[in-house]
Amino acid sequence: MFGAGAAHAAGTLAGTDITNIATASYETGGTTVDIDSNPVVIKVDELLDVTAVSSDPGDVITSNGAQNVVSTFRITNTGNGPESFRITPNVTNGGDDFNPALVSVVIDTNGNGVYDPGVDTVYVAGTNDPNLTPDQSLTVFVLTNIPATQSNGNRAQVSLTTAATTGTGAPGTTFASAGQGGGNAVVGTTGADADASGFVLVNAASVALVKSATVLDPFGGTTSVPGSIITYTLVATVSGNGTLNNLSINDPIPASAQYVASSITLAGAAQTDAVDADQANFNGTRVNVALGNVAAGQSRTVTFKVRIQ
Amino acid sequence: MNNFLKLCFSMILLAASSVPAMAAAPVELSSDIFVEKQEKRPDGSFSTVLAKPNLILPGDQLVFVVRYRNASNKPAANFSVTNPIPAAITFSGTSDGAEIVSIDGGKSWGKLSQLRVNNADGTSRNALMTDVTHLKWQMKQTLAAGDAGKLIFRGVVK
Repeated sequence: MFGAGAAHAAGTLAGTDITNIATASYETGGTTVDIDSNPVVIKVDELLDVTAVSSDPGDVITSNGAQNVVSTFRITNTGNGPESFRITPNVTNGGDDFNPALVSVVIDTNGNGVYDPGVDTVYVAGTNDPNLTPDQSLTVFVLTNIPATQSNGNRAQVSLTTAATTGTGAPGTTFASAGQGGGNAVVGTTGADADASGFVLVNAASVALVKSATVLDPFGGTTSVPGSIITYTLVATVSGNGTLNNLSINDPIPASAQYVASSITLAGAAQTDAVDADQANFNGTRVNVALGNVAAGQSRTVTFKVRIQ
Repeated sequence: MNNFLKLCFSMILLAASSVPAMAAAPVELSSDIFVEKQEKRPDGSFSTVLAKPNLILPGDQLVFVVRYRNASNKPAANFSVTNPIPAAITFSGTSDGAEIVSIDGGKSWGKLSQLRVNNADGTSRNALMTDVTHLKWQMKQTLAAGDAGKLIFRGVVK
């Protein structure tokens, strides 16, 4: 007699029958009589509503030529019936600095909120439009490639539109008998479609080199006099996105100073002056340190000593 | 079978066949549902109209109308009408306020203002319209032959 429960934020499930029967009781001729009214049945129609939001906490930081840059979105069926949704990505938005190339839209099949290549399913419009029950959410990834020639600091808008496949339109638009359970489908306040945008920001890896010096004079003080030892500290910090490959530091010794033999350290580890298996050498005029591949967010610290002549 | 038994059986059959005749409801009861819709007036303001329930969505205000009529030529004493609130409906009031309600599926009854709901933590609170599961109108007087009336209550689609 009664339909499914109404535990949804979106309200009573579409297709639920609301049945009303009144009962009367009275006495006549000493007998109690119970009668039922006619049952009157109305069906709850389907409200078509959907929301979409970007799940990225901020700009997705990327670099020139990056492949499969992931923009993450979350769509939610806020209607009262199971509904499938068409997803349309857009990477050619105006008002931004460049247009990345669309690779694919991917559905977070395993529901972990993270793009898993080969695990999550590539979305094909009209083929695997996701079917969401009322209040159900789904994470969707839009993968893009970044052109190789973008300048640092350029931003691109990546957006998607999701639309109820039953139909969209102005709120109140009705699709007769198209609702779940045989009722009508009615466009809700969202228009049964929703847009969301995220941004990708080109911020290539770059290195900052900070050099500092401490002085120890022959008398235990810090004055710069002949015989004082200067310890130079070089900190190379890579920022941005990606990795700087084969990063190296070269630092010439000042003419007024003499290199202190075997004084190079890398990350606190002593290095020899010869060109050999370790990463540093002194070639008579300059200190060379091969730092190798350094990822963004990392830093390398080199120290060496000279004596003031 | 002797004649006495035959007589008894025919009396039983007579009594049995008379039951449907009694239940053929000399008192008629009918139920109807309408939906309140906002209609825009030419001046841009809105008026509330009662419409046939062709389109029902969560949040819609429904109006339930129960009509009764004593179609017989005999009075009906102790006339009462009971209406369970459909599960998908939140009760939101009656037109006459003369009803008693149940918040426990029809087991106990009272005016809404007198009923209390027990919370899980042992405390209790006043019952709300959202707690109501059944409505009942107990007519104090006898429904005379030909008497008719209607009872109206409202509810919101959950």
